[in-house]
Amino acid sequence: MSKDFEPTITAFLCNWCTFTAADLAGTSRLSYPANVKIIRMMCSGMVDPKFVLKAFLEGTDGVFIGGCWPGDCHYINGNMKARRRVALLHEVLGRFGVDRDRLWLRWVAASEGNMFAETVEEMTSRLMELGPCEMKGKKVA
Amino acid sequence: MQYATLNTSEGLNQALETLLGDLLDKGVVEAVMVPTRQFHKRVVMQSLIANRADLADLDPFAPVVTTNAAKQVAALTNRPAGRPVAVVLRSCELRAVIELVKLHQSHLDDLLLIGLDCYGRYENNAYLALAAGDEHLSATFVAQAASGGGTTLEGVEITAACQVCEYPVCDSVDLRLAVVGAEPGKQVWIEALTDKGREALASAKLEVAEGDPDGRTEAVGALVAQREAAKKQLFEEFTAQTDSIDGLQDALAGCINCYNCRVACPACYCRECVFVTDTFRHDGEQYMAWAEKRGLLKLPTDTTFYHLTRMVHMSTLCVGCGQCSSACPNDLPIMELFRTVSEKTQIRFGYVPGQDLQEAQPMATFHDEELDEVTGQSK
Amino acid sequence: MPSIIINDQPVIVAEGTTVLEAAREQKIEIPTLCYNPALEPYGGCRLCVVEVEAGGRPGLQASCTLRATEGLAVRTDSERVKRSRRLTLELMLARSPEVPVLRAMAREHGVKDARFAAENESCILCGQCIRMCAERMGAAAIGIFNRGANRVVSTPFDDLSDVCRTCGACASVCPADCIDFETYGRHPAQPLNSEWNEGLRLRKAISIPFQQAIPKVPVIDPDACVHLNTGACGICSSVCVADAIDYEQADEIVDVNVGSIIVATGFDVLDPTPMEPFGYGRFPNVITNLEFERLSNATGPTSGKLLLRDDQDRYKFTRPPESVAILHCIGSRDVNYHEYCSRTCCMYALKYAHLLKDKCGHDTEVFNFYIDMRCFGKGYEEFLNRVQAEGVRMIRGKAALVTDEALDEDEEGKLVVVAEDTLTAQIVRVPVEMVVLCTAMEARANAPEVARTFGISVGSDGFFLEEHPKLAPVNTPTAGVFLAGACQGPKDIPDTVAQAKAAAAEALALSSAGHVTVAPMISGIDPDICIGCQVCIGLCPYSAIEIDSRRGVSVVNTALCKGCGSCAGWCPSGAAKVEHFTDKQIFAEIEGLLAEGSEG
Repeated sequence: MSKDFEPTITAFLCNWCTFTAADLAGTSRLSYPANVKIIRMMCSGMVDPKFVLKAFLEGTDGVFIGGCWPGDCHYINGNMKARRRVALLHEVLGRFGVDRDRLWLRWVAASEGNMFAETVEEMTSRLMELGPCEMKGKKVA
Repeated sequence: MQYATLNTSEGLNQALETLLGDLLDKGVVEAVMVPTRQFHKRVVMQSLIANRADLADLDPFAPVVTTNAAKQVAALTNRPAGRPVAVVLRSCELRAVIELVKLHQSHLDDLLLIGLDCYGRYENNAYLALAAGDEHLSATFVAQAASGGGTTLEGVEITAACQVCEYPVCDSVDLRLAVVGAEPGKQVWIEALTDKGREALASAKLEVAEGDPDGRTEAVGALVAQREAAKKQLFEEFTAQTDSIDGLQDALAGCINCYNCRVACPACYCRECVFVTDTFRHDGEQYMAWAEKRGLLKLPTDTTFYHLTRMVHMSTLCVGCGQCSSACPNDLPIMELFRTVSEKTQIRFGYVPGQDLQEAQPMATFHDEELDEVTGQSK
Repeated sequence: MPSIIINDQPVIVAEGTTVLEAAREQKIEIPTLCYNPALEPYGGCRLCVVEVEAGGRPGLQASCTLRATEGLAVRTDSERVKRSRRLTLELMLARSPEVPVLRAMAREHGVKDARFAAENESCILCGQCIRMCAERMGAAAIGIFNRGANRVVSTPFDDLSDVCRTCGACASVCPADCIDFETYGRHPAQPLNSEWNEGLRLRKAISIPFQQAIPKVPVIDPDACVHLNTGACGICSSVCVADAIDYEQADEIVDVNVGSIIVATGFDVLDPTPMEPFGYGRFPNVITNLEFERLSNATGPTSGKLLLRDDQDRYKFTRPPESVAILHCIGSRDVNYHEYCSRTCCMYALKYAHLLKDKCGHDTEVFNFYIDMRCFGKGYEEFLNRVQAEGVRMIRGKAALVTDEALDEDEEGKLVVVAEDTLTAQIVRVPVEMVVLCTAMEARANAPEVARTFGISVGSDGFFLEEHPKLAPVNTPTAGVFLAGACQGPKDIPDTVAQAKAAAAEALALSSAGHVTVAPMISGIDPDICIGCQVCIGLCPYSAIEIDSRRGVSVVNTALCKGCGSCAGWCPSGAAKVEHFTDKQIFAEIEGLLAEGSEG
């Protein structure tokens, strides 16, 4: 694939942890790839699978859902529900050849700014390996 | 298990008419819901029969399922009458009922569940054509299938869904009309699986034997094995064609967003599909933006989105009845798509729809300790 | 009701009363040794004799068994009575000259020493133990065996008894304190450690939990109570004049309707037993912070004296220590236990050091082994300086080991604390007599359960999570539920009080406002779309959704909903949505982000 390929990551981040961690990464002057586009959610458990499908249909190369570590969920257990939904999406999308690494659920605590930066870094390089998402540019809607 | 032998030398339907009529007469039930020939004697639809005389046209073994009756059971019991009704269902219908009960759309309290052994069904039009030429199509079909002669009549095959259905026999029922392994021209069995079923048998004054009918287990096993083999072959072939987004697009290319598949689907229980709500009524500007971004926008749009979403919402509950494919005006392989996706999602959550009323649906529950591999993180 | 005369004084008594009881009611002293109000009268010791003057068989009779009948006249202090008592005491003293209760009574009655050949029996054969065991405990495990001078209290054939429950009731009534009840039965004794005194002393099966208990009434330990377990005993009930003992009382569940809840469930103290290097549980004088607090407390087992524990008897305390080591950060700031700082230890450790100097004398050597001194509060740093000025030794280095293996004479018989002094970069060995472990504060073991009950989140440290560390420090994700104290994280008393008052103020503010303000991001369910599948009800962590069975649709209680979107994240029909996070809004965000030319 082209060396110029820059993947796009759509990130649905929990307001209370990963979104704050992204903030912290910024205020801590950590640098991370600009490939990530963030949508603030109140909780990872709020991420409707439709949002993930929509992002892929609109041409994202990867989706990153950031939630609180198990037990730390601001809403008690929204992250546990998110985990089931992501597992379900992995199966459905995987059936049609969409690599599981295009959809990441990761636990990132509010204090883990560096981990947020590392996660985005890792996901970006993994998506560079995978290349553009199969749904992209194929007139899929 | 207890079972009784039903003499069918006068005809399968006559024997059932007597049995169900007795249940009505004895007051075991106040009505019977059973597939019945309608006034012009060809189309067979579920009917709620409260009068014994009207049982005369029942035809539950007709090889056609005009619609998955789970929806009719839900309609009947969503706000239950509190009066006992016997419902005669096939496995795919019964399993869908159980999922609808979990979703509070249906209730079992009033029901005496009578399951039918099922050799499969024809598409509605094919059935009508066959039935036009054979007044006793049900008996012909069952007799041929039970004697090992297969399910193809005059070159017409049963539906693809039925060919790969691994559940020809109902499990979670009170009574089971057992033809697999029997000689339907002479006798079939009626098996009682629950106390309710045993009481019904007792009140119908049938002579009851203990254990499994002779040769039944083997016959069912052989039928299931044949279906499993067909399923394996279909899944492999179909998955190979559609294991990419291109393949999916190809399969869905003819979709016209009629949503017949979701109307026909017994598991799709929403009052209104989200895809017909305002969320998917787009502005003209939106269409233009999409067209500009993609260069070409297939219309109607949101088709892939719709099918993927329905797979996410419903694949864990899919019972494989194939009504989606039957309802599709453009012959899209919806059943094949759903069954191959469902196999993955149902295995992932260790869930078998229609099996256990107590088991929570995968997306209706969650646990603290599970699915660690999704994030691959541990503290 | 019979009327009798005691020492010329007429007395009306209840039917069935004994003369002893009648006399004691009139505050007329009659000495006894074998009498016990909980037991049937025995008439064994003969000390309670009175002289019958009229209305009965004249002469000396035991008052504990003599019923008060109409017209009876007795004298409790006649010369004849006194003579008899002296003789009895003399005989008993001859058998058991060393028994303190007997010596005291003999002194009182003017008996100096016995004229008879002295033996040295500790048991005075009052029989209280045997009657207690048979009458009240229903066990009859012990009896008096042999005859004459060889009489002893024992079990049949001196064998270990099967019926003895090792309850200790025999020992509890023995006036001579001579019963080693653990030798009677096969069952090992189960000491009842006083929870309030951190197990430094024992308590009974019925006891007042602690001095300031409210209400200050005794409670029965149902696991230990003989009556509740066997139906026997019942002594507390028979002696309680207020008739207040109710064995039928059981836990009850009380429904209380409240508008807000303050969760102040506190903390647990880390049990240092598994931390083997510190020797807690192995060395009697390695004690925890709370045990030190009890020792130091005026209502504690030593009435506030700081004493060493006896090597042989864990309930006995001997003399003040000459040297003490206080070990900071036991289980705190330790990746193997708790990474956090318990916040209180530095300051109470300094308090202990000060108390030791104050109570045990200035020459008492006190060593603090610390990682960092965190004296962050008002006046705290000054206190550190003062304590250091008092001669307390501060060693910067976490103690690694407490051992009794002596390397030289100085360490002989002492506890040696081994640590690295990180200021001099040397390993130090400090021999002391007492070691105090400043154990970590940790979340209550049942915190996750409590959290589930109240809809609170639990942090990775196990403590309850406040809604926002700066802006909502006493709030929880559940509206109307507030946090106070160490259940939210380790904190000292001033912080706890401040937080508790804040929580109280928040709770009051809610009730006085009379209405509740909620965040705008809450869920709503469109009744025209909802079909009542109730999946959302099972997913809602706040029980904020209910089914309206008339309409057959689910309804969000907007006062309870916190807007997490658990319902909207799944609702297949899209009937459930979170305000400001609707499908359309999110889709628009996605489209905007991924629009052509939005890169960079």
